[in-house]
Amino acid sequence: MDDLLKVSDLRASIDGKEILRGINLTVKPGEVHAIMGPNGSGKSTFSGVLAGDPRFTVTGGTATLGGVDLLGLSPEDRSHEGLFLSFQYPVEIPGVTMVNFMRAAVNAKRKYLGQDPMSAAEFLKMMRQKRAVVELDNKLASRSVNEGFSGGEKKRNEIFQMAVLEPRLSILDETDSGLDIDALRIVAGGVNKLRTDRNATIVITHYQRLLDYIKPDFVHILYKGRIVYSGGPELALELEEKGYDWIKQQVEEQ
Amino acid sequence: MSAAEAFGQYLELCRARRERSSLRGEAVRMLNDEAFRALPAAIEAYRGKSLDCLASCRPDVLFAPDYGVNIDALAMYADVAASFRCGIPQLQSNLVVVANDCIHIPEHLAGGTDGIEVYRLSEIPASLTDEVADVLSRTADSRNVAMLLNGLLLNDGIYVRITGTPERPLQIVNIFRSDMPMLTARRIIVHGLSGCHGQVLLCDHSQSPEVNHLNSQVADIVLERDAHLELYDIEESCASTHRVFNCNTVQEEASSFNVNTNFLSGGTSSNTWHIDTVGPRTETHLAGLAIASQDQTVDNRVILRHSSTYALSRQLFKYALYDNAHGGFGGRIIVEEGAEYTDAAQTDRNIIVGDTAHMEASPQLEIYCDEVKCSHGATTGQLDERALFYMQTRGIPLDTARRMLTQAFMADVVEQVRCEVLRQRLHILVEKRLSGAPGSCEKCAGACHGQTSNE
Repeated sequence: MDDLLKVSDLRASIDGKEILRGINLTVKPGEVHAIMGPNGSGKSTFSGVLAGDPRFTVTGGTATLGGVDLLGLSPEDRSHEGLFLSFQYPVEIPGVTMVNFMRAAVNAKRKYLGQDPMSAAEFLKMMRQKRAVVELDNKLASRSVNEGFSGGEKKRNEIFQMAVLEPRLSILDETDSGLDIDALRIVAGGVNKLRTDRNATIVITHYQRLLDYIKPDFVHILYKGRIVYSGGPELALELEEKGYDWIKQQVEEQ
Repeated sequence: MSAAEAFGQYLELCRARRERSSLRGEAVRMLNDEAFRALPAAIEAYRGKSLDCLASCRPDVLFAPDYGVNIDALAMYADVAASFRCGIPQLQSNLVVVANDCIHIPEHLAGGTDGIEVYRLSEIPASLTDEVADVLSRTADSRNVAMLLNGLLLNDGIYVRITGTPERPLQIVNIFRSDMPMLTARRIIVHGLSGCHGQVLLCDHSQSPEVNHLNSQVADIVLERDAHLELYDIEESCASTHRVFNCNTVQEEASSFNVNTNFLSGGTSSNTWHIDTVGPRTETHLAGLAIASQDQTVDNRVILRHSSTYALSRQLFKYALYDNAHGGFGGRIIVEEGAEYTDAAQTDRNIIVGDTAHMEASPQLEIYCDEVKCSHGATTGQLDERALFYMQTRGIPLDTARRMLTQAFMADVVEQVRCEVLRQRLHILVEKRLSGAPGSCEKCAGACHGQTSNE
């Protein structure tokens, strides 16, 4: 099957400091990849660079989504091409209601695809359906984006947006951080409901815990800006048992 | 050109008219007399550089060009149908149209129905002459050159007498239409009688975007005991229309004054809000927004003087500046001796988009009394970069994201508008302005233009 995401020798820096030092990763439709690694290894930088975060400067390499060069696109066009980033810290936007926010997002994508804007009735119906995926309260629709949302509500809101935008590739950046066990179950359940054999997911996480709920096909270990080790789901368990020092040692020895 | 020359040119021009004594109406003559009496000394004492406002907003700069003046008070008509297109759907208002400096008042308003009477200043009934003189004596400022020049050049004005609780707001639409550069002197005098509740909406438009225009505008307002006035001001003209606006207000005991001023488009707009609260337990709310782009300049000076007890005042001003736009805000709160238990707060927040826009803010508190609560805060910054990126990752284009954030930023100023229909309309006008609709009516891509006028 064709590759969905293909990342080759990707390098990026922030304020002149190199964070990503040659990442290679290939993701096919239907797959779930987990990226794990100690603090400061570059996990969030990797997701930010793919999404087009202006804080990072790409210094080398390529990244394509469905054959389209991602790095040459604006963040909004990357979204239209089917990339979705669930933020570790979703941003609060006072004064912009969830419903206006989502309408702008949905209609921008439809415009990009050459479709007419959605009618108000159609839109509200879709919002209702998608909210059910993560059991998101109806009342949140009239509130400002993420403003005053609890940690759990923020993460559920991310998955709700993912459900609405129907991305081909979703990157979940530390989606488990700040979640209690019930919220974790709902969020992971939402992600699983949205899985098809045509889309793919990259789960970025510190802990094995989330991977009990979202089962990965592949696990990669990111360390000092490179993927130093790849394996199957059993790798996550091994990490949980031995910690990262084991990997660090291996890398230092090489 | 020196300040003396800039102002002096109009004195010369009006002297001949004065000799012909062609002015109509006692009230207009009164303002004219006062101008001739006080102007020479005021010009002599004028020191432009000592003013707080932006340099480009000083009266000597704005009055300097050689504008034409309607010295013989020729009748002028505006395309009233066009102004109706600019009207506010669902707003049932009493509509007065000012075409350049010619005032068109519907007949039914003079009769004193519905708690409001509206007169042309040139046609004040003899029984009200003393009343008008009294109002003007209270709001007069013999050192304010811009106000005196307005009195000097005035052909006519509007006297609004609010006696009760009119069902409909009074809407005054100022329209400029001319083939040659012109200065128009416009004046509105509002007398809120004891116990009244009134709403006045001022709209500034231009139908001649290619012609230079100076709009000299003065509002004299006296609110008697327990009188309540909401004043809404929407400036939506074009780059060639400049404005010098002075609003002088006196508030008596337990009166309230609620101002909402909105700069959506124009050239250089210089505004001074001078409010004296002289009786106890007054309430004053000033809210203002400015969205300025290209070379537009907006300046708001607030001079709020509390001289009695238990005054409450709130100010909220917000600017969004793009391109080479220039914004100025000066908020001075003066709490006089004896004004115990004054509670005054002022907030000024501004957003700069790009590297070349410029904002100058200067809050000032002068407190001559203990037992008062006064606060001020002024911030100028940029749109939240993280919020913009977050919106982009959801597919919202950067321009749209900026517009949505700016609109959200302005929302609390619009929310201060108490008239529901107007509030909804203003939200739409702000959105339209931010999505790039041009200022002038004729070029406006907005929904009001091009529709049939019977809406």
